[in-house]
Formats: sequence, structure tokens, C-alpha cells
Amino acid sequence: MFKYQSGRVIALGRVILAALFLVSIWFDQSQPAQAPERTYGLLFFYVLYALGIAALTWRNWWLDARLAAPAHIIDMAVFTGIVFSTNGYTSPFFLFFVLPLLSAAIRWGWRETALTATLLILLYLSAGLLVTGTETFELQRFVARSGHLVILSALLIWFGMHQQFTRLFIGPDELDRSLGRDEDPAIQALRLAMEASHAGCGALVLGEERFVGMCLSGGAARSLRIEGVLMHDPAIGLALFDIDADRAVTRRSDRRYRLLRSSRLLDIEALREIGAAQGLISAVRTGTEQGWLVLWDIPDLSLDFLELGDELGRAAGAILERGALLLAIEQGAAARTRLSLARDVHDSVVQFLAGAAFRVEAMMRGSSTGAQVESDLKELKRLLIEEQGEIRSFISALRRDRELELAEAVEELKALASRLSRQWSVDCEVTACEKAASIPIRLQLDLQNLLREAVANAVRHGGATRIHVGVDVDDDRLELLVKDNGSGFAAGSDEPPTEPWSLKERVDRAHGSLSLFSKPGCTDIVITLPLVGAPA
Amino acid sequence: MNRVLLADDHPMIGAALDVLLRGTDYELVGRARSGADALAQVQRSKPDIILLDVNMPDGTGLDVLRELRQTRRPPAVVLLTAGMDDSQLLAADGLEPEGIVLKTSDPALLLDCMEQVRKGESWVDPEIAERTRQAKERASRAPSLTPRERDLIDLVRQGKRNRDIAAELGVTEGTVKVYLHAIFDKLGVDNRTELAMRAAELLGRPV
Repeated sequence: MFKYQSGRVIALGRVILAALFLVSIWFDQSQPAQAPERTYGLLFFYVLYALGIAALTWRNWWLDARLAAPAHIIDMAVFTGIVFSTNGYTSPFFLFFVLPLLSAAIRWGWRETALTATLLILLYLSAGLLVTGTETFELQRFVARSGHLVILSALLIWFGMHQQFTRLFIGPDELDRSLGRDEDPAIQALRLAMEASHAGCGALVLGEERFVGMCLSGGAARSLRIEGVLMHDPAIGLALFDIDADRAVTRRSDRRYRLLRSSRLLDIEALREIGAAQGLISAVRTGTEQGWLVLWDIPDLSLDFLELGDELGRAAGAILERGALLLAIEQGAAARTRLSLARDVHDSVVQFLAGAAFRVEAMMRGSSTGAQVESDLKELKRLLIEEQGEIRSFISALRRDRELELAEAVEELKALASRLSRQWSVDCEVTACEKAASIPIRLQLDLQNLLREAVANAVRHGGATRIHVGVDVDDDRLELLVKDNGSGFAAGSDEPPTEPWSLKERVDRAHGSLSLFSKPGCTDIVITLPLVGAPA
Repeated sequence: MNRVLLADDHPMIGAALDVLLRGTDYELVGRARSGADALAQVQRSKPDIILLDVNMPDGTGLDVLRELRQTRRPPAVVLLTAGMDDSQLLAADGLEPEGIVLKTSDPALLLDCMEQVRKGESWVDPEIAERTRQAKERASRAPSLTPRERDLIDLVRQGKRNRDIAAELGVTEGTVKVYLHAIFDKLGVDNRTELAMRAAELLGRPV
């Protein structure tokens, strides 16, 4: 009943304080010290006035906004009258001092609170001066209470200032905890806003002059399209509206209420079309889009929803931004994987088939001149069978829908090493540590390609006959140590070893690093690859 | 005999061309597996023709071709490619190699091309010629971009973040976002990933 209902709290507080003050003076024979008839009359009418304000504004945010400032001035005026008439030490005026101060702090901000406090202190001092010299006036108590008022005012001004920095903020971490990852971000934002405001219906539309979005009503979602300008004044980003009564309330930059006609402010036809007769509209901005959050069927719509709406608009923007960011990350990862696969297919299958076609052309030309082509055909057949095996293992890796355990990945590398041993007539062995680690598919494909490349390099350029491949993991890195007995990469003793470029390029693409230690008879290549962050 | 240098990092292509050129008027005088290696071997073996793969590590075939165009009496260059994107096609067109052969075309065309080049003529695979024509058309249709927008696309293509781009261009991050949205609208791309991937095509020039 009182959530987001500061207007109700102030109105009810006014009624209780007025009644309590009237009763306490009634039983206190020493009060009122000045003009008793007029004081009782003032208090009696003040109680009636407080009841009237509470009744009028209890369910009417428009009147609450309209009457907020006049009621505030009346509260201060009554306070002055009470101080004047009940200046004795038993006067409970202090309560009346608190009401306008708290009202200002709750409704507006620290500036209005400071203004109210200044006015109240001046009025209190003026009233005190008016009764100076009477028998009930006590200077010491008057000065002490003046001090109390100043301290209390300072506290409430601080409260008003602090309140502006303690708004609801929904950060990415909080969103991750509270929201699902699979749902449309627009629906997530809308659901969050509807839950926070207890709205029965809501819409979130994005665009400039053509808004597209979602509408949630009765648990059912439907897409929405609105043509035109939803808010006529682009400077206004937030409003409560009542289309039937042609009313709208917004806040100025100084946080004061601004009363408007809803027909002048909003595209009421568009709002009526989606069924939003009375509710809240708040701007939603992201880095790339802007639009509106509209909430209606709110059971206890109050002026506090202006503050809440501002927060919900910002939260919706944060959720949409987060959705766009996740989408961009997913698209980026998919694009990287696509490019990487295209490169693999280009580097292996396309190049192999092109080479095979050149060999067939050579054999055709050879056979036309009577040359023997049988050995070339056998060689081509062997190469085709090997390539078939490579493509099969490549496709198996792609089909797999989970990461490999390190042991599984090593088994596949051992099988590949066995094939490479036969292909290059070399002794190729793979050993691995017995640690546990998950190997992403992309990394496993890279490992296989690196092994092929390393063996081909060692045999072709170094004339190696023995190659040992060690696999180890350390935290979030995988280390591949390729050791061979070839002549090494060094062209001469005075020259630095040349880098194995094809290997280096693959390692760079996998965001890893490569170190080379080479001397005749022994070459060590240490390749380090990240275990995390590799695209699946 | 015509001296031929082969620059291609794929072993299957190297071995196949070795076999293909046997018994012809061409002598394979060397094989390079990277761009830098190709340039070094050109100096050493002084070939008449260089068969140059486009995609190689440590300097692409186009980089090598660019370097060779700066030298005196360069060898005739036949680009060998399994496929080129628009920017590579436009770059190759500008560098005017003596021949361009698609690895996926009929292998007999390579020898036809080398024959033409040997005679001092040029020969471009018909498919490459057609794709180059289309790439030029697309480039001419590319929407006009301001120099600042072109700079920004280049920076996006390099994978830089908005903050870094803002620092480099001397503007605020918000301004970069505004520029990017204007570019997205102008070029009809949905996001920066697509912008980066299509940068060459959208800019209408090699990058």
C-alpha cells in the first residue's frame, strides 16, 4: 500500500500529526499560550484540511502533483502559527517542523529541503521574537531548540543530497544473476520493468519515427509497430499520463513537477491503440538505439513512479545494451570460427585437390609421350587416401558437440602421429602428461595441423628420422614440445635459425607463442597455446 | 630452357608442379615457401618466370609482386591462386602481373599461361578476369565516404575499440559511436564485425 507511495505517506503523516497535536493541546491546560480560540480553530481546520488532502490524493497522482506545493506552503504557515501560539516549553511544535522538512526531502531534493529549512528557521525565529518577553517564553530553551532545528535541517539536507546518488542501479553482474541468457533482451527488459512496477501491461519500442518492439499483456507477448513520434517534446524523457483525463506529469530538470496535457505531450492515438490509457512512459537509450518503455495497468500509480520510471528506463537500456553486446560477441565468435574453418578447408582440401589436378595433368602429358605413369599413379593414390583420412578426422572433430578431455585429444594426436610416421617414413611418437584439461575443438584442430606441419618441416627441411612430441598443460595453457634429430633450421653456424613460418603463422592465429632452439642434430620447437578463449 | 622459380607454401602444389614441369621447356630452379624466401631466391637464382602463390606466410604473393615491381629487370610473374577476395583482385589488377592462373581451373591452363608469358604477352584466367571486372563495378558503386569515415573504417578493420579509435582520431568515444552509426546506415551493414569483414569491398580499394 505504501510502496512507491510517498504522497500517501506524507498525507497520512500530516493527518496523524495534526490530530495528535490537537489532542495533546486539548489535554495540556497550559496551551495554547496565545490566542486559544484562534489556535483551536486553526488546528481543527488543519485536521480537516489534512483529511481532505489525504482523501483527494490517495489514488490520484495528478492531484498529488498539483497540490504538493500549495500543501507544503500551508504546512509551513500552520507551523508558524503554532509556534506563535504555543511558545511554551511544552509545545510539541517540533513535530510540525519535521513534516515539511521530510516532505521536501522525500518529494523533491536537497535544494528544496534547504529552502524549506531556511524558511522554517526564519519563521521560527520570527515567531519566537514576537513572543519575546512574555512570561512563558524561555530564551535558553528557545536557543537550544533553534540549534536542534539547524542540526535536523542539516541532516535532512544531507539526506536529500545523498538520495540522488542511491538510485537503483542494475549492473551487468546483477543482470546475469537475475535474467536468463536465452530470452529476447527486449522481453527481459520489459518483464523486469513490469515486475518492479507491478504493471499489468507493458511495451518496449525502439526506433526514431518508426517504433518496433514488444507488448506484454496478460502474460502474452506480441510484436508492436508504432508509426510517428511517441513523445512530442524530445527533451522530456519521462512522464505519467492519463489519456482519458488529458493529463500528464513530468519533472523539470530541477526535479519540480510539470503539469501538462497528455494530448500535447504524447501520441495518444498510438498509446490508446496499444491499450495504454493511464500509465508511465520512460525513455530508453542504448549506445545504438533509443525508444520508449510504456507501462500501464499499474494498481497504485503515484508520483514516485516518475523516479522509478527513470530507473526502469535506464535498466531497460542496460539490458538491451547487454543483449547487443552478447550478440556481437556471438557473431564475432561465429565469424572467427567460420573464417577459421574456411581457411582450414582452403589450406588443406582446395590446395590438395589443385595439386592432385596438376599431377593428373602431368601424367596425362607423360602418357601421351609414352612415359611410364604407374609409379606416379600409385603415389597419387597414396596421397588421396591420406588426405581422405585427414578430412575424415577433421569432420569428426567438427561434428563433436563437446570439448575433449586431454587424454582423448592425445589419443587422436597419437593416431595422427602414426599416420604421419608411415607417410614420411619417420619415427614419430607422442607422449603427454597425465593432467586433466578440456581441449576446445578449435584447439584440437590447431594441434593436429601443427603436428602435421611440424613433422613435414622436420623431414623435408631437416631430414629428421625421429620426432618426439610432448604435450603438457599448465594452468590455462597447453604446451607442445616438438623435438627432432634433423639438421635444424640454422642455415650456417654464424646465422640465426630461420623461423618455421608456416608453424609460426598457425600459432599466431591461435593466439599462442613459439620458441625455437635449433642446432645440427637437434631442434626443439616449444609451442604454447591458450586453453581458454579458443573459439569452440 | 626457361628458368622458373616456384613460390608456394603448400607441399602438394610444389611436388605436383615439379612433376608437371618435367619434360617441358621450363626448368624449376628453386622453390620458396614464404614471401621473404621468394624475394631472396629471385636474387639468387635469377628466374625468367616466377610462379607466385597469393597466400603465403611472411609476405603474400602480392607483397612480393609489389617489391618486384620496384626492381630493375624483374622476372615475369604468374600469380597462382586458389581464390582471391575483392581487395586482392583489385590489388592484383593494379600491379599488372604477366599472368594469373586459378589453381582450381584446368591445370593445362597453367602451361598455356606460361607459354604466353614466355612470349612476352600476358594471360589472365577468364574467371579471374570476370571477377576482377565485377569487383571494379562493386567498387565504383561503393557509397561516397568522407576521409574521416574511411579512416574510421580502417581503424575498425584493424580491430581497434571505440576508445582507442577516439584517442587516435582525437575525438570523444561518443563521437566515434555517432560516426559508426552513420557509416552503418550509409553502407547498410548491421555491425562492426560485418564492417570490418567487408571493409575492402565497401571502401572500394584494397586494404
